[in-house]
Amino acid sequence: MATTSKQYKAIGEDLWKSRTDKINSELFSLTYGALVVQLIQDYEDYAEVNKQLEKMGYNIGTRLIEDFLARSSLGRCSDFREVGEVAAKVGFKSFLNITPTVTHSGAPPPSARPTSTVQQSGVPGSSFILTLDENPLAEFVELPDEALEGGLWFSNVLCGVLRGALEMVQMQVQVEFLSDVLRGDESTEIRVTLLKYLEEEVPVGDD
Amino acid sequence: MQAAPASALGTLADPPARMVDGAAMDYLLIEAVNALRVSSAVASARAKKIERDMVEAGLVPPPPTARQQNPRDSTSSTSGKISGPADEDEGVRSRLEAIGMHIGGNFVERLCRDRPLFSDSLDVIKFVCKDLWVSCWDKQVDNLRTNHRGVYVLQDNAFKPITRISSWEGRQEALKRAKLYVALPAGIIRGALSRIGFQGTVVPEITTLPQCTFQIKLPKNT
Repeated sequence: MATTSKQYKAIGEDLWKSRTDKINSELFSLTYGALVVQLIQDYEDYAEVNKQLEKMGYNIGTRLIEDFLARSSLGRCSDFREVGEVAAKVGFKSFLNITPTVTHSGAPPPSARPTSTVQQSGVPGSSFILTLDENPLAEFVELPDEALEGGLWFSNVLCGVLRGALEMVQMQVQVEFLSDVLRGDESTEIRVTLLKYLEEEVPVGDD
Repeated sequence: MQAAPASALGTLADPPARMVDGAAMDYLLIEAVNALRVSSAVASARAKKIERDMVEAGLVPPPPTARQQNPRDSTSSTSGKISGPADEDEGVRSRLEAIGMHIGGNFVERLCRDRPLFSDSLDVIKFVCKDLWVSCWDKQVDNLRTNHRGVYVLQDNAFKPITRISSWEGRQEALKRAKLYVALPAGIIRGALSRIGFQGTVVPEITTLPQCTFQIKLPKNT
């Protein structure tokens, strides 16, 4: 079932609207900001803080994906391209109320047939880039020179969330920031690269 | 979109609050506590190392031995290790409170933007019980008591941050965790009061979940 990008956007909007428990995003931003500052004070090493944020994100992601699958009742993505679409238009929308734009790259797999067998065709190496025009985590934030020089990726938790969530659905990915407006770059970009599928084959008669 | 100019400008000047999903915040807080536990251990290990280095260099006198400090801590075997889980929790608790203070102070600035000045401390407390509570936790405080001498007790019978705490280890464990988690909201209240100009203390207390009381002590001259 080829769900178009527009349909995913609509699904994301609906999910967001149906959420009953919403909080002011400023509270969220302030909490995250204070947390990053505390971690910087404790570790005194920006690379280590990046790592810890990623790890924190990973733990969050492993829980978040279940919440996401329960709410959205979307089926398995047929290829990595679809993963990118779903993550951006449904995932980010339903949790953070933002819709990053997705740019795909890497050899597109053979066309997805609407059967239940998983194509292990998403070529390892294919990737997508999420461009965030707004980032609720980084509201009110300015990085001091020290942090810029130290290489801090302020919103690194997002990388961990993506990695953790996708690992729970059998994809091993590498997620990294390419640029961040907090660092003075033009845009905030996260690249997600598929390393491999964790389950090589889903036996046909087995679901 | 055919909006009258006045309302369009109004929306520009006062945009509706951006929201994020409550679950995202919950997950963040859960993992934040874990992350802070690790980071506070790292920080205190580093501080202890510096202290040890300074002692070895003869710059400070050696600290009193562990023996006197925790007579009931029979599990500690190494002489330098005074800390146990209690100490570790204290590190997390104080960090949570500090984060809360940052949140409370900055958030209350936004909340108070269109408000007139506060007339007295009771007015401030009422603001906390109504506006702050609603913005953060979707309801108002259920009960406010005061001794009219600077001590206020705010009671919330279903305090949102702890309503969903449960532990597979049982009620007692859940209660213990709740007591730790509630340091963040206490910090929010304290930070809010401080930014308004009242340096007080906020002590949270939980006897049965999900009910929570906060005892606020404001300085006498207000």
